[in-house]
Amino acid sequence: MNWTKRIFYFLLLALIVLGLFFYHSIISYLIYALVFSYLLDPFVGWLERKKVPRWLAVLTIYFVIAGIIAWFSSRLVPALIQQGNNLITILSSGERLTGQYIITLPFIRRIYEFLLELDTKIPGLGTAAKLVDILDQTNVFLAKLPKLLIDNYQKIFSTISIIATVPLISFFLLKDKYKLRKGIIGMFNNRYFELIIIMLRKIDSTVGNFLRAILFEIIAIGILASTALTIVGVPYSILIGATAGVANIIPYFGPFLGGALAVVTVLLNGGTIISAIYVILAMYIVQLIDNNIVYPVVVGGTINMHPLLVLLTLIAGGWYGGILWMLISVPLVYITYSLVKVLYSNLKEFKII
Amino acid sequence: MLKDIYAWLKTIWKKPDKYAELKQFDVLSELSSFELYLLDNFLHKRRFQAGELLYDKDHPLEVIYFILSGEVEVMGPTHPQGHNIVNKLQVLGLIDMFTEDTRSSSAKAKKEVTAYAISRYDLMDLAKQNRQLGLKLLVAFCKTLSNYILNISATGSTAEQ
Repeated sequence: MNWTKRIFYFLLLALIVLGLFFYHSIISYLIYALVFSYLLDPFVGWLERKKVPRWLAVLTIYFVIAGIIAWFSSRLVPALIQQGNNLITILSSGERLTGQYIITLPFIRRIYEFLLELDTKIPGLGTAAKLVDILDQTNVFLAKLPKLLIDNYQKIFSTISIIATVPLISFFLLKDKYKLRKGIIGMFNNRYFELIIIMLRKIDSTVGNFLRAILFEIIAIGILASTALTIVGVPYSILIGATAGVANIIPYFGPFLGGALAVVTVLLNGGTIISAIYVILAMYIVQLIDNNIVYPVVVGGTINMHPLLVLLTLIAGGWYGGILWMLISVPLVYITYSLVKVLYSNLKEFKII
Repeated sequence: MLKDIYAWLKTIWKKPDKYAELKQFDVLSELSSFELYLLDNFLHKRRFQAGELLYDKDHPLEVIYFILSGEVEVMGPTHPQGHNIVNKLQVLGLIDMFTEDTRSSSAKAKKEVTAYAISRYDLMDLAKQNRQLGLKLLVAFCKTLSNYILNISATGSTAEQ
């Protein structure tokens, strides 16, 4: 490589670094816009095949989405907010969550009575008092939980307000999809031309299909869980069902979160052990439907990541950016891993490395 | 006089055909303007210098080329003499497209080549999503491949890939 080329590449690199530094605050916008575009692209493509110009197709879909959101807001959001407020009130109410209150709940009551009996048989053991003490300590933690949730929800809502520009960026990404793709491919010389076409196609199919499948799964599990929990008589079933749907993104651990939330809610509302078992059964059936019908059909295969890696990713995501990042970290790592794998195998097949 | 003015105005108002280049290809000649627009979304215009490789043997088979100008030398076992010249307005990669995952031959530009390239998967997706377009394309491909086979059996030489 001669000096002129070296200087050119150095300047180009410097320009890219400067560009990244200048635009770094909007990179997250671009990522959100890309995700949004991937979700909408099949619908735009479908309308385009019906001879609707792309710009009009995107606008039509935006109007349809706005209509759905308006309908959803008018019908379900008030109920969700009401249920959320009630749940937070219960969790933050010191009175209802003291050890003395909790031992009056039917299921805990039996355990407490058993321990009392044990204490009378073995003097000096004091297990019943210890149980009340543990429940009190749990209460201190749970009382902090709503604040933690509210803090994070504030973050989520502020993020939502910040990314109000996302639909605008998505509009141009969708409208000029082919121009952008041609532009990217045009930047590569003939040696890497086929490789970059393969990469873009695989990114399109891997990321696009995965994101669309995840969205479909969230909706499906949300509806299924809400219905199942309503049938077994769980209070706040819509909220818990919706939470279970979102938590389901996290492999292995996600389904337990929804189930645990439902069981805790039932027990805190004075439910018996039988009603808790019904809830577990209902959530188990939802998971059976998910694992055997929804996931294989819409995603086509499982996220092939070791449970330990999933756990570490969740912890790292939580430390990095709270609940939102805990939810998106596993899909993000999986997508990155898949793309690196595809890139590596293709670089080898084209004998570039 | 009026007729002349009308003809003159028509030449001014008539937009140049955006897809005139594509319509030159036999396999694309039956497509409507809208179908060509859909196809064009996936096409990439590439230039290759004389002596430059379009693709190499055993590389993954992803792209087929519509040669707009220039000459390409193809070397591989699917050609009776071991090599073949593909000229202007012929298609490169059509035989392997339906059967192979890796290239069975190499292709090198003999003269400077301008070609439209399209991913075979994009092409097949396009055909699946637009049945009429797909039917026209597949019939055209069948005709091209039939001519190719007839040519080989008649003269022992190859005309199109």
